[in-house]
Amino acid sequence: MATRDEPVNSLADLEQAISALLDVRPYSVPPLERHAALLMLFKKELNYACARSPKFKNYVRHWPSFPSVSCIANLPYLPVTVLKADSPLSLARAGDITRTLTSSATTSQRPSRVVLDAATSRRLTRGVTAIMRDFIGPARRPYLVIDTPENLRRRPEMGARGAAIQGLVPFASKIVCCLRRDSDGVASVDLETLRSLADKWRESEVLVFGFTHVIWNNFVLPLRRKGITLNLPNVHVLHSGGWKRLEQQAVSKDVFASGVSSVFGCKVKRVIDFYGMVENLGVVYPDCEQGNKHVPAFAEVIIRDPLTLAPVSPGETGLLQVCNVLPTSFPGFLLLTEDMAQLVGADGCLCGRRGTYFRYRHRVPKAEVRGCGNVDTPRQFENRTVCLT
Amino acid sequence: MSDVIHAITWPEDLAFASHELRQIACQYRLTTGFLLDTLDRWAAALDCPEVRQIPGGAFLRLWLRRNTLEAVLVREFGQVSLCDQWLEDGHARRRAFPLGVVGHWPAGNIEIQPLLSVTCALLGGNTCLARVPNGLIAPTRLLIQKLHEVDQSGPVSQRIFMASFDHSRTDLNEAMARAVDGAMIWGGADALQQVRSLPFPHWTRVVTFGPRLSVAAVDAATWTDRHARQSWCRRIARDVWQFEQQACSSPQTLFLEQGQIGCDVSEFVEELRRAFQEENRIHPRSEIEPALTSAICNVRASWLLEDVENRGWFPASADWTILLGKGADIPEPTQGRTLTVLVVDDLSEVISRFDGTVQTLGLAIRDAEKEQALADVAGIHGVDRVVRIGQMHVFGSPWDGRDLVRPLVRLVRHSPSQDVRGASL
Repeated sequence: MATRDEPVNSLADLEQAISALLDVRPYSVPPLERHAALLMLFKKELNYACARSPKFKNYVRHWPSFPSVSCIANLPYLPVTVLKADSPLSLARAGDITRTLTSSATTSQRPSRVVLDAATSRRLTRGVTAIMRDFIGPARRPYLVIDTPENLRRRPEMGARGAAIQGLVPFASKIVCCLRRDSDGVASVDLETLRSLADKWRESEVLVFGFTHVIWNNFVLPLRRKGITLNLPNVHVLHSGGWKRLEQQAVSKDVFASGVSSVFGCKVKRVIDFYGMVENLGVVYPDCEQGNKHVPAFAEVIIRDPLTLAPVSPGETGLLQVCNVLPTSFPGFLLLTEDMAQLVGADGCLCGRRGTYFRYRHRVPKAEVRGCGNVDTPRQFENRTVCLT
Repeated sequence: MSDVIHAITWPEDLAFASHELRQIACQYRLTTGFLLDTLDRWAAALDCPEVRQIPGGAFLRLWLRRNTLEAVLVREFGQVSLCDQWLEDGHARRRAFPLGVVGHWPAGNIEIQPLLSVTCALLGGNTCLARVPNGLIAPTRLLIQKLHEVDQSGPVSQRIFMASFDHSRTDLNEAMARAVDGAMIWGGADALQQVRSLPFPHWTRVVTFGPRLSVAAVDAATWTDRHARQSWCRRIARDVWQFEQQACSSPQTLFLEQGQIGCDVSEFVEELRRAFQEENRIHPRSEIEPALTSAICNVRASWLLEDVENRGWFPASADWTILLGKGADIPEPTQGRTLTVLVVDDLSEVISRFDGTVQTLGLAIRDAEKEQALADVAGIHGVDRVVRIGQMHVFGSPWDGRDLVRPLVRLVRHSPSQDVRGASL
């Protein structure tokens, strides 16, 4: 076990090593070099987490073949669903927790909760900034949020939408939310504000962000119905949050991008889908111009065959594991998600970014009804219930 | 040969099939002897490599043998049932007659279930209209073709109409329900609820086999016996592996009675680990739903994160999982060859907490009196089968606490109008 082989690392040691990875350009490191640095750091982080959490240590010590592992794929990973526990898994002292973030829980109905301390928060901001800078450049610019102002407020407990909006604030010179909620709670576009901003920002770089289904249903469709084009050719429209709802409306990625670009009056390539999740904070995966998602220097993805859980070969699809050195306030370094992705390659995307690249496919489909052994409802018997939890 | 499973598009096709089945039932009564002979020949025809590949195929072969089915009939109706005669019942006589057309809605997780269900109805003299779930079409086709091979003139096979249609086709499910005099419904709670709410005629006799789970229990005298340990572990592994642990008779939890001081339960679990590895070597998985892989990874992590005393054994793949801890409550089943081993002070106390969800209790108990006492407690607390570990899936009558054939017949009473001397009564 790692804790036997290596000395327990202090947070300061980890901080230094993480900082070194954050300092390099995120897509510039050759894969082998990056792998060695990440492996060493993940081992240290596991070691640190074991020292902080006896329960986590219990999990790690049962991991087959650990600690004699020589690749990241063999390190103990947690399924992301364990972050949905009632009391969040924490490695931070209670007094050091500055914020708790919750996922949207659209599929499971039960949100993940991750706790942040100041150091982790700082790193997460640096991570997102480093990634986005590579895609949209470093300048601060007007930031149009396609959401309602209440999702912008910083609170001790914040949802996925709020966290995603906040993540792009370092690129903002001014922030404007363009949706307003009426007395019935329905969100609609504040057209007057939007028109005046569009006139004002016509010549400048503009950053736009919203959740995919919000942009489509609350922004693009209403503006299209009114025949409005904003004429903002220098805009970058970033969106995330999954495709489930739009798939139900039969809106494909291409249809979405062309719809958004026609409303903004910009090129389709300025509409960028990115994959991110609250549990993998600090790392987002925007599509490159080749339609691939790239792993930055401080992260990795492993796509696992559902049958063997071994890493798949390029071209194959499997369960997506996200690896991220940034958090130290919760054990979110190595997380098996409930998403399916296709590994495109280990290096050499035509966009020029180095390292692993992949494509998101879909959520793990719900299991088929499993017949006569599928007991999901305990029987009530007098006042007692057989505990099935 | 035309397809033995009919892809159905129109409700009228089901009504027509039922009409034909009813006519066949009236026109051609089979003797029990002829039926048992035919099913026995079918059993022999199933002894082939392709059937051996079907999970439960070997069991179906045993089930269809004359000896097995004869025993079911004798147990449910008495020896006279084999002679197709009236049974003297005081001053009257009694005899079983078929309900007519029995509809079958088998669960989608057990390959041989459509045929197990159908044979129960055939034994009652009924004809059968069965909906084959989409995932079971290929194995069912193969198995029923073997019946057609041994029953070329068709007296038995023409009494079975296998239909396939998507479960979402409410109109077809409704048409099938309207066309039957009896129904056997198997499956999970949602499926059961859906089928049971179909518009069956008021006379239709509906028999349901709903969702259950099963557990095993081993006493300290058995698991601490180093000589017996290996064979019990192999039996447990076999019960876990069969039907991918998705059957209602699949053990999900193993309760181990706490041994005396010095008895190390992890020695037993090590033996169990070896048995799981061996079973996995013999019967490796060829596919898995990603959702099940996720569930397996999740239960491993949740278990070990929940309590530092909890332990686990599992490979890097999702092939199998053994979780060890303490507690008397049955954890939520994960399936997918995931067995939770719970150490308890008193097996009787655990069993007395069951609430009717447990169908089968597999036992390995050294002392017969102790086992009898546990069976009594299990019976009171809703368990329908108490069997030896290693035989948890042996399908037989009664099942789920009821007869398999008897609910599908009418018991006709004949009180003779003349006394023995010919005078009016």
